[in-house]
Amino acid sequence: MKNHGWNDQIKQVLDGERELESLPPELRHEAEAARRQLLEAIDRRPVTLSDDVEARVMARVRSRATARWPRAWRWLSAPTIPRWAMLVPLAAAAALVLFVRTTQVPQTNGQAQAVVGQRESVYVRFELYAPRASRVALAGSFNRWNPAATPLVRVGPDGMWTVTLALPAGQHQYGFIVDGRNWVPDPAAPTVDDGFGRRNSVVSVNTINGRIL
Amino acid sequence: MDHSGAPSDGSVVRAVLSGDVDQFSVLVRRYRDRYARYAAHMLGSIDAAEDAVQDAMVRAYTNLAQCREPDNFAGWFFLILRNRCFAERRRTRWESGLENVGEVAAPEQTESALERSEVVRSVQRALLHLTTEQREVFVLKHVEGLSYEEIAGRLSTSVAALKMRMHRAYDRLRELLEAP
Amino acid sequence: MKRLSLYLVMLGGLAHGLAAQGDVRAQLVGRVSPDLLQLVVTLADSAKALRLPDAPLVNKALEGAAKGVAPDRIALAVQGVFGQLNTAASVMRSAGAAPTAQEIEAGAFALGAGLTSNDVAALSETADRNHPAMAVLQVAGALAALGVPRAQTVGLVQAEVHSGLPLGDLTNLPAQVQAAAASGVPPDAAASGLERAAQAHAGQSVQPKGRAKGNPHRP
Repeated sequence: MKNHGWNDQIKQVLDGERELESLPPELRHEAEAARRQLLEAIDRRPVTLSDDVEARVMARVRSRATARWPRAWRWLSAPTIPRWAMLVPLAAAAALVLFVRTTQVPQTNGQAQAVVGQRESVYVRFELYAPRASRVALAGSFNRWNPAATPLVRVGPDGMWTVTLALPAGQHQYGFIVDGRNWVPDPAAPTVDDGFGRRNSVVSVNTINGRIL
Repeated sequence: MDHSGAPSDGSVVRAVLSGDVDQFSVLVRRYRDRYARYAAHMLGSIDAAEDAVQDAMVRAYTNLAQCREPDNFAGWFFLILRNRCFAERRRTRWESGLENVGEVAAPEQTESALERSEVVRSVQRALLHLTTEQREVFVLKHVEGLSYEEIAGRLSTSVAALKMRMHRAYDRLRELLEAP
Repeated sequence: MKRLSLYLVMLGGLAHGLAAQGDVRAQLVGRVSPDLLQLVVTLADSAKALRLPDAPLVNKALEGAAKGVAPDRIALAVQGVFGQLNTAASVMRSAGAAPTAQEIEAGAFALGAGLTSNDVAALSETADRNHPAMAVLQVAGALAALGVPRAQTVGLVQAEVHSGLPLGDLTNLPAQVQAAAASGVPPDAAASGLERAAQAHAGQSVQPKGRAKGNPHRP
């Protein structure tokens, strides 16, 4: 490792985590020079892109919109998607939204963290966009694959169904069940072979720094 | 809807996903410049930043169905733009001559401003010699003004890893700027 | 169901006996056919004797029943899970480890996601004090499930562990690959990029192909 570099305390000043005045006098001059050399020399002026960015983007977007259906049709006609999904408009991808609350208090990372009171478990929110469904349930290894155990609730007028569960750390396989009979994997989650010729979605949960797989 | 009456990102996303493609222009207008400065510093020129932002916007449209939190379109778009900047960096090889370094922002006219702009340019040039990860943490903290915690949240990493990266960046920048 | 007798081998004395059988039986009764129930109970006994977790066996049976799969097919799948658990545990034990139930499940998951037993062995050896085997195997399995090719999965995880970056960065790799996929970067390209980033962080020179050789530079 190259050892030529500023003292750690000077770096803390550069980070804004230590006051220059708190440095021993012999370091202050060097710290000021470092600040001048690095931080004060940065160009922070906002950058404005040219006016026709919007027009160029929309031109490309519109040409993609017309070409979209053939790709979507291939997705919709994949064997693991049940018939009912054909009726759902193009945009009906499930969204797996995961937010994390842990019992530990990890170093803050900008996300909301709350103490749960349960040991080593994490809140995970599952969502499925299914406007034509009359009921949606979640079944997986965390609820012993019981289709009746975890119904989703329809939220809002858009056809979004959701449920939030506390899951213990580990890997869990699951699927959604629409109208009591159609199993739907989560398009936004990784999948594994279920051993029955279809795919299960996977969610991995760990409480290291509140991160999730 | 927020209080200003403008539609929320979430409702615009849902409208686009329901087939109203033109609504996507709302998001383009809203966010086209928000991360332009970040892209410009990551890539070394405004032109490159403009290409990156445009490509990222189109990718965001194409993959809009996978946006997990439509009300946080900005955060998701940032990650797409970030991937695009990282991919760009892998494709480009930077020689020490760096003739390709464009102006990050238009230079000023006065003499001391010219001198300052030369200093600014050499820092910008030096930044381009860092690894992409080091440059990114430097840009997010010292150009964009985010805290380590905010950066960690955005990049899904830890404050400790970021500080380690930043302190290496300081060392490397010092070498580059003091080289005869 | 006669073929199921394949696995009806009593492996030595079964110390846990009726109590363990009662647990498994209680979870399955009324949800699966009696024949299948008996098979799973027997496999669970074998699992206990081999120091393998039995919950994945029960779960697979319950899953098959919930999905309306024919009992013969469920039986095959449960045996498949047993095989994966057994392979994972054997591989880890012959590498000198004493894997916990969770680690064995993680290894089995990695196998189910498409990694080979050699891959599981290599990953189990990669684990260190700061990067426990369970996390290493879970991450590898998740990457493989996202479509990262096997060899790259192993390379990326190893590079990340050796880079000196904290555990949170390792466990975040699948999310990064997923985010890259959302912006159109295929999994193998995303994995390559992440591997180079990890190597660069370790101080090794970045090479466009393959992995950098030599000792990782420790910060």
